[in-house]
Amino acid sequence: MKIEVLFPEICNLYGDLFNIKYLKDCLPEAEIVNTGLKEQPLFLTEKPDLIYMGTTTEQGQIMAIEALSKYKERIHRCIEDGVSFLITGNALEVFCKDIYEEDEKVADGLGILDLTARRKARKRFNSLYLGEFKAGEKESPIKIVGFKSVFGYAYGENYNNELFETERGDGLNPGVKGEGIRINNFFATYIIGPLLVLNPPFTRWFIKEALMCNSAEIAFSEAAENAYEDRVKEYSDPNTGFYY
Amino acid sequence: MSKLRFTVALWAAKLSVVALKITKHNGTNFPGVVALKICPDFLRHIQKPRHIIGVTGTNGKTTVCNLAIDMFRADGKIVLNNNLGSNIDSGISTALINGVNIWGKCRYDSALLEIDERSAPLIFPYVKPEILLINNLTRDSIMRNGHPQYIARILTEEIPKETKLLINGDDLIASGIAPSNSRKYFGIESMDTDINECINLINDMQICPKCAGRLRYSHVRYHHIGKALCPECGFSSPECDYVGKNVNTESMTMEISDSGVSCTYRLLNDSIFNIYNVLAVVSLFRELGYRREKICALLEKVEIVKSRFSEQEAGGYKIVRQMSKDKNALGASRAFDYVSGRPGTKELILMMNCLGDTKHWSENICWLYDADFEFLNKEDIKNIIVTGPRAKDYYLRLKLAGLPDEKLTFVEKELEAPSSLRLYPGESIYVFYGTDSIALGSRVVENIKKVITERGDRQ
Repeated sequence: MKIEVLFPEICNLYGDLFNIKYLKDCLPEAEIVNTGLKEQPLFLTEKPDLIYMGTTTEQGQIMAIEALSKYKERIHRCIEDGVSFLITGNALEVFCKDIYEEDEKVADGLGILDLTARRKARKRFNSLYLGEFKAGEKESPIKIVGFKSVFGYAYGENYNNELFETERGDGLNPGVKGEGIRINNFFATYIIGPLLVLNPPFTRWFIKEALMCNSAEIAFSEAAENAYEDRVKEYSDPNTGFYY
Repeated sequence: MSKLRFTVALWAAKLSVVALKITKHNGTNFPGVVALKICPDFLRHIQKPRHIIGVTGTNGKTTVCNLAIDMFRADGKIVLNNNLGSNIDSGISTALINGVNIWGKCRYDSALLEIDERSAPLIFPYVKPEILLINNLTRDSIMRNGHPQYIARILTEEIPKETKLLINGDDLIASGIAPSNSRKYFGIESMDTDINECINLINDMQICPKCAGRLRYSHVRYHHIGKALCPECGFSSPECDYVGKNVNTESMTMEISDSGVSCTYRLLNDSIFNIYNVLAVVSLFRELGYRREKICALLEKVEIVKSRFSEQEAGGYKIVRQMSKDKNALGASRAFDYVSGRPGTKELILMMNCLGDTKHWSENICWLYDADFEFLNKEDIKNIIVTGPRAKDYYLRLKLAGLPDEKLTFVEKELEAPSSLRLYPGESIYVFYGTDSIALGSRVVENIKKVITERGDRQ
């Protein structure tokens, strides 16, 4: 199994890279391929089992867009072919049509997602997140917990591919219940940090269904489940404030 | 109208100062809060000292300011400062209110102000330092500060053009702030402990700011602090005007040279943060025109406040209180690195939960995954007790750092944590507490002493 991590030298904020470290703990045989900004991505020559990109700076977003823009068609094809992507935090905005700061366009995105990212220069939007992931018609939804700490949100008129359904906290933007995007096995969410570490039931599903690895058990499952159960309980409590 | 509003604000704030003194509530920002509530641009109108020195950056602001204030005092000079209050706009306002008389006339010639880097947009339009010392820019609170490049951008946009910068040249993020301002740099040439590759999880300066090529570090102190060169375009860390060298943590001295002349100064603490803090203060005093010998003499008369690290003996054990500012991954990493490098058998109590967050929402624990808990995976660390609201998160994080279950103990309540100490003969017990748990940390230390006494009596 090969996991390609895009631009870890800049896409490494808020503990996001622990999504990959944790997958490596769960799947010791997995090979992690770090692709730098000035290197040719692995996905050009083969189909990795997972392509990951994490949260970055605003300048980092521009660099990532520049580095990936010449591979747009290939990325499209990978998504259509069912290659798994996990995109966390503001790396999601790299795949949008464009990025605006206040009312000024600061970058064309890759245009993979029919969304426009709009951010504020001096405002942080911080919240906890509680939502559900619907794995399938017959399966029980999986509770998702996490954190959002962003400069803005994504907006789109034809937005109907949500990854999670929000119970508390903001969706892709404050006006929608849906959070993140799922297209085939392309998973993108504004949730920052170690999403997979904090959500063992989702990680179990992700490894089995998105990475198609039936045999693996998640690492440190007891400790992870204990922390997860407490967090779900805490976030489900109406007395727990959600915004910072 | 604005003058009238300012006068009302000043008098209301002055009245609040009197009320606070009567009720023995000194050292709060309340006067500044009152003034800003009545007159939002209060800082524009209040008369300021003729000379203002600012200190900003992520880590070390308070220590540098306290050292400088003490050195000024030792030199017989009283400078207006905000060391008893906060470093945001209300704290700066409170300091300036204390500096003027009832008619608004400033009674001080000079001020030394610690300035919160995130509050720059509220302060710098009105308070224009002659010299601004920038100690470093690193990750801090995820919610408030985002990332250091974001703070660098704010500072670049807000620092007054006429302000002269005195910057840590070993920090490439700080070095790039406000490039059109005049500046001088301080840095350390080399240290015995230098490495040439970052071993920390946080490494925010991996690529060249000019060409995005991979930077090559000749010296790494911690995280991105060190000296770098871009092999692709030739960009490099700046040449420093104040150069630290021959750092000796046994004799507790460091040479600092400027203008081709070297002088040996006393170090006040052997942690890397505090070595840089001494270098920063010496550089600042040199910029202010102090003679080297005079600075040496003043440094002999000051100490670093020990509220962040203190140790005591109890029944043959050493109990160490180690501040680790909550939600600050880099601060935690430095503390973990420092403690794990100290000799002898150790037990740790981790309780730097953000208790303030518990009241309003739930702590964002992403910072745990930026912090180097891996440093705690050492043979001589025998037991780590995790406790408080986020204890299960600490437990999981330590598991990911490779610590086995037998070295980890979960205790729900902080005050009960000492009961789970194993008390290896002659060991050191470290209590990691945060800014929210200073008082609770002291109570935990008292309970450790009780446990030591009880077990001693039983034997």
